[in-house]
Parts: sequence; structure tokens; C-alpha cells
Amino acid sequence: MINKKAFEIQFNWLFVLVAGAAIILFFTVIVIKQKDVSETSTKATVLKSMEAIITGASVSTDTTNIIDIPSSDINVDCGRVSIGGVSKQYPSLILFAPGLIKGDKLITQTLAFSTPYRATNILYATSPQLRYIIIGSNDIAKEINKSMPSELKKEFYKSAPEIKNSNNYRIRFVLFENIIAFPKALEKLPDSDVSAVKINGDNQKGTVEFYQKQGSSWMPKGTSSYIGKQSLLGAIYADTFEAYECNMQNVFSRLNLVTRIYAERTKKLMESAVTSSQIICSQFYSNALTQLNSILAASSDFNRDNINAITASANSLASENKNAQIYSCTLIY
Amino acid sequence: MKKAQIQIGETIAVLFVFFILIIIGFVFYVNVIKSNIDIEKEELSQLRSVGISQRIMFLPEVQCSEDNIIIDNCIDILKLEYAQSVMKENEIYYYDLLEFSDVSVLQVYPDEAKWSLYSRKTDDFSSRFVTNVPVSLYNPATRKHGFGILTIETLFK
Repeated sequence: MINKKAFEIQFNWLFVLVAGAAIILFFTVIVIKQKDVSETSTKATVLKSMEAIITGASVSTDTTNIIDIPSSDINVDCGRVSIGGVSKQYPSLILFAPGLIKGDKLITQTLAFSTPYRATNILYATSPQLRYIIIGSNDIAKEINKSMPSELKKEFYKSAPEIKNSNNYRIRFVLFENIIAFPKALEKLPDSDVSAVKINGDNQKGTVEFYQKQGSSWMPKGTSSYIGKQSLLGAIYADTFEAYECNMQNVFSRLNLVTRIYAERTKKLMESAVTSSQIICSQFYSNALTQLNSILAASSDFNRDNINAITASANSLASENKNAQIYSCTLIY
Repeated sequence: MKKAQIQIGETIAVLFVFFILIIIGFVFYVNVIKSNIDIEKEELSQLRSVGISQRIMFLPEVQCSEDNIIIDNCIDILKLEYAQSVMKENEIYYYDLLEFSDVSVLQVYPDEAKWSLYSRKTDDFSSRFVTNVPVSLYNPATRKHGFGILTIETLFK
């Protein structure tokens, strides 16, 4: 039989054990909670930086920036940017980027989308850890290679080389001639990590075909069109057909709104020219108004026919603006 | 009272004081964090306000340009007149860009005139910022420049 003294000592130890466990549990809960708060805070900081980048992009053109960010995985969707569980909606955002941006650096590039007047700024974002393989020997291939920031991990070849795996989290092939045979060295990579875009056209317009790795071959994912170099670069940075189409639809919505204003402005300039008997100027404005109305109608939807119409009208509008300049009329844009 | 009971009572008292100190420390920590969050919230509101102001200043819908070359701090009056109705018709689209804000342009020279570009306000706001930007107002029909003030009032919940 256990005597009274021994029972007291055992009970004391048991009590200390329970109290100690309670204290450890208390601090463990605090540490876990604090860790969660800290991680969410870091994600929110990155998202805040992204917001600042997006704002900055809308007010500056032809710029490239390399931004240091806390190491994170940024998911870019159509109109949505998310980091872990923290996400932010940007319904009319024009951001061409791969679905996943990994690492502690972000490369951004901004270009103006002009047809021929500036309708919006286009923002491109990517990671220096993503590998771009550009294959082509024509002028547009050279121009695209020049237009992409030198800070990117890009390789330019005139013909298909032997591709080796250099452990990048994603690989994007940019093909200006025929689709190449799927590289053997990349067969073991997950399907989502290797994609390609095949470009047919010049720096004004053309078509883009999206491909995704499937086993040891390429699987076509959709064909779309591009208008201008800015849009073509968008098809290179955005790694899915859906992301590209969504962003181009947003570009067209914006173009439609801006064109409405230019059309109304030109109408007023024409009225003013007629009033002040500037017959030549009023003729230029009248021609320009026809082109602006054509762009307005074609910018209602993003498709190949509308791209052809916009390209033709944009060229005519540019020459009307030139004529207006020659005859000292107020410029159309 | 037995010795063991006294010992347990002492331990409970020590634990009680210990937890009281922990709670006091925790309350202090929470207050500091809360005040930091308030400061951060204020900074974020200011940052968003600056962002909205920048967006307005560089909207192609109102900005002056000469052969597609942008002229800084200049608003085209002909564009401005029609931009008012376009922005009103597409209020939801512009809300994504300009949030809860009121944007107006006041011409002070040569004549006084006022244009309300965008207005979407809320009564339920916690912070309000007003930014006044002096701008040149260009009338392409007469090719004359005026002077005005672009007022951007931003409201945040």
C-alpha cells in the first residue's frame, strides 16, 4: 500500500506536469498564431507592392523595373492577383503575366497601347527564374528579343537548338517559325511547367497559337490574334490562351471608351473648323471621324476581323493626323 | 490545513500571478499592434489616395497630347467635356479605377468654369483626403491655354 507521503509527492509531480503542459500549450498557441499573422502580413505587403506597381504602371510608359519582393509565389489570374490565401480583385486590370510568378524578384515592363492614339498602358510582369526560349530568324523575332528586358532569363536562337533542362520552374517557348519537336530533356517536367506560343504575322497584326506540354508532345490550347507589338508581347508573357484573351478584351473595352472621347472631340474640331472656314482642316477631321467611328465599332469585341478593321483605320487615322500637322490644323490626337 | 494542501495553494497562487502578468503583457502587446495597424491603415489610405490622383492625372480620356506625345499637367477641355458623360455612363468601370472619390476641374483663368468629372461618394467613410493639382487647361478649338485646379477628393471606409 502506498503511504500518505509518497502519494503527496506523486500528486505534486502530476500537478506540476499538468501546469507545465498548460503553459507550454499556451505559448505554442501564441507562437503558431503569431507565425500565421506574420505570414499573412508578408503576403499582404507583397500584394500592397503589387498594387503600387500596378498604379505606377498606369502612369508611366516604356519603363522596365526590377523589384525586390519577399520570396513568394504570386498567382496571376484574369483580374485577380493572389499570394497564398490573400487575394485582390482588379476587374479591369490589364496585366500580362505567367500564371505563377516565383522568387524574390519581379520584373515589370510597361508599354503604351496606341491605335495610333494612346488608349491605355499595358503592364507585363514576370520572374527572372522563368526561362524564355525564342526561336526565329525573321525581323519580328529579332524585334521581340530586343523588346524583352535583358534582365530576363531569355535565350535567342535562329533555329531549334538542343534544349537542356536548367531547372527553371517554368519554360516558355516563343516560336516564330514552325512548331518544334518536343525537347527530350524536358519530358520529365510536369505538364503545366512547359508551354509554347507560335507567332504568325508581322509587328502590326497576326495570329498566336498557344501550346501546353502533354507528356512528350505539344497540345494545342487555342488560337488568338494580336494587334501591334504590345499585344504580341502580351501573348508571350501570358502563358495561357484564356489569360491572353481576357486581358485583350479589357484592352478593347478601354480602347472603346477612349475612342468615344476622341470621336466626339474630332466632331467638335470639325464644327469649329467649318465655323472658321478652315475647309482643308474640316476635311481631315471628317475623314478622321470616319476612321474613329470604324475603330469604335470594331473595339466592341476582340476578334480577328475587328483587329483587321482597327489596323486599317489606325493607319488611315495616322495619315490624317500627319496631314493635319502639314496644314497647321489642330492635331486629332 | 495539511502541508501538501498549502503547497498546492502556493503553486496555484504563483500560477495565477504568472498568468495575470502574461495577460497584462499580452494586452499591452495587442494595444501596440493595434496602434501600428491604425498607422498602417492610414498610410495605406494615403497611398491609395495618391494612386487615384496619379491615375486621374494620366487618364488618356482627359490628358493633352500632341502627335501622341503626352503633355504633363495638362487637361484637354474638349476631351474633358465628353469624358464627363462617358464616365457617368460607365460608372462601374471607372469605380474600379477611382473607387469612392469626387473629381472636379475648376478653371480660374481666363473665365471661371467648373466640370465634374467623376463623383461616387459614401457617407460611411473613415478617412478623407483632398488633393489639389494646378493644371493647364487646353482648348484645341481655339488653341488657347487656360489655368485651373484639378481637385481630387478620395474617401475610404
